[in-house]
Amino acid sequence: MAEVAKGQSWADVEDDLPSPQVIDNKDGTKTVISYRLNEAGKKIKLTQKVREIKVTEKVNKGVAQRRKWSKFGDEKDSTTIGPDFRTTQVGTAVELVLGTSWRGEESKKEEEKKLDVVKATNVKCRTCDGNHFTSKCPFKDTLGADPEGSGAHDDGGESAGAPGAYIAPHLRAGGSKLGGRNFEERDDSTTLRVTQLNEMVDEDMIREELFAPFGMLRRVTLVRDRETGQSKGTAYVAYETVEAAQKAMENLDGRGYHSLILRVEFSKPRPAR
Amino acid sequence: MMRPIMLKGHERSLTQVKFNREGDLLLSVAKDRVASVWYSSNGERLGTFIGHIGTIWSIDIDPESELVVTGSADFSAKLWNARTGECVHTWSLPSPVRRVEFNATGEKFLMVTDQVMKQLGSIEVYPVNRSGPQAEEPMLTITTREGFAKATVAGWSYGGLYIIAGHADGTISKYDAKTGEFLASTKPHTETVSDLQFSPDGTYFITSSRDKTAHILDVDGLQMLKTYETDAPMNSAAITPVKDFVILGGGQDAKDVTTTSSKQGKFEARFFHKVFQDEIGRVNGHFGPLNYIAVHPQGTSYASGGEDGYVRLHHFEKSYFDFLYDVERTAQATASTQTEVN
Repeated sequence: MAEVAKGQSWADVEDDLPSPQVIDNKDGTKTVISYRLNEAGKKIKLTQKVREIKVTEKVNKGVAQRRKWSKFGDEKDSTTIGPDFRTTQVGTAVELVLGTSWRGEESKKEEEKKLDVVKATNVKCRTCDGNHFTSKCPFKDTLGADPEGSGAHDDGGESAGAPGAYIAPHLRAGGSKLGGRNFEERDDSTTLRVTQLNEMVDEDMIREELFAPFGMLRRVTLVRDRETGQSKGTAYVAYETVEAAQKAMENLDGRGYHSLILRVEFSKPRPAR
Repeated sequence: MMRPIMLKGHERSLTQVKFNREGDLLLSVAKDRVASVWYSSNGERLGTFIGHIGTIWSIDIDPESELVVTGSADFSAKLWNARTGECVHTWSLPSPVRRVEFNATGEKFLMVTDQVMKQLGSIEVYPVNRSGPQAEEPMLTITTREGFAKATVAGWSYGGLYIIAGHADGTISKYDAKTGEFLASTKPHTETVSDLQFSPDGTYFITSSRDKTAHILDVDGLQMLKTYETDAPMNSAAITPVKDFVILGGGQDAKDVTTTSSKQGKFEARFFHKVFQDEIGRVNGHFGPLNYIAVHPQGTSYASGGEDGYVRLHHFEKSYFDFLYDVERTAQATASTQTEVN
């Protein structure tokens, strides 16, 4: 950077740069050479070739005249050129999808969402392996004809050898897939870990004020102190899809919420002990 | 996706928004005593009209965009210079003014005055003098007829031949604009007529009502041509040029708003197909009921003024203009093949 000369303010030193030059070329373009300082304080010469294009736009005469009207009333002393952000803002995008059956489409979407939820909760029919509860199986009468009672009871008798004794669901042969979930197997790819939450924030606030807009939520868990029930400032939020989780993370990470800055990241599995 | 421009020039709920003839200016009035005028292209505020001391219920601009008229709850109507914002004339009246509208030539304007105490409501027509002092007395007064509820809205039909008025009990009435003679009436609504806007050619008009419906009626026979049904009280309805749509706006009553969330309040602009009467889309965004909807005269954008104090100005996108019903598409296709054959 240039040295500060005697009697010169340090603030003026940067004005030391050579003034920009404009050269008219033969082909109608212009070459603009300007100088500036880069981050390291070194002088940089910037050469730009510019072609000016005139775009003519036809406007109603009255409209053109009104465009030149000076401002009046509350805007009389306004010095801003163009819209003033205090009175004019651009809102968030809204969607206008025109269609004859939009109402039907909307209800269809809701139904699909509900179906997705059922799929995601890993329900499996023990009769036909379908995506529904055993009791709701459409083949209940044909396939599931089981004269000796429920399958679970029957299988339980074989594996444990002691008829009538209680068998945990995951040990029953018929229900092995259903009950086989444990913490290692649980799919956490759509779960976000949220930290630095204010103590006063509860599950509902997390759900409704923060994460609900980004997609269907599967589960929201706030870590609480075992004795006092007070929030520890950490929560786990699981979405139905990775995309929704990704979107939520991008939008909420680093955002201020109840005077604390949120930290949102994908939940990592606990390292093996 | 449309990105609406939010105009926050008013501190209280909007009562009316209106485009001028070319659509480059957008006027807005609210319950906060000040009228605003905006450039519709970018939402820049051109100025404000200061002088009323009560809610301004209605505003209109003449076809040449020289004069602006406002009607207010402070028992007055004011005429303004649209370019400078100066008040040209003030009419002191015995009751609040609910609606003002210039005729198509800008030679005169009508105002709907409210019914208060002993004052019967009326529709009054005043001449506009562009070169001298304004007349104090109306050139025509249509006092509410016996057996009729007060008029809430009114407008000029094609050629300025008739004045059509909407009444508080849902009646629509028609008068000769020269003599004030009562010509006909019909009762399409069961509750207050909240808005009445004409088609671009003035031969038919749309009315909206608190009874959750909107109707299109023709001027000549006052026949009900179309009906649009919704699930919320409607405050405004507008006919779009270019595309055969109508836009309805409304929502729950202001007094019930605090007890409902914005999702349940039905604070959306609803698009209906003008001919087929189906609801074809919605635009949300307001936090309160929509009090008025105005459509750009070229059909390229629309503005809605809400109870929430915002004007939301939407410029339509290509998908809006491309939208066609299947029958329309088939009709176009057959028409084009026929011309090819010929």
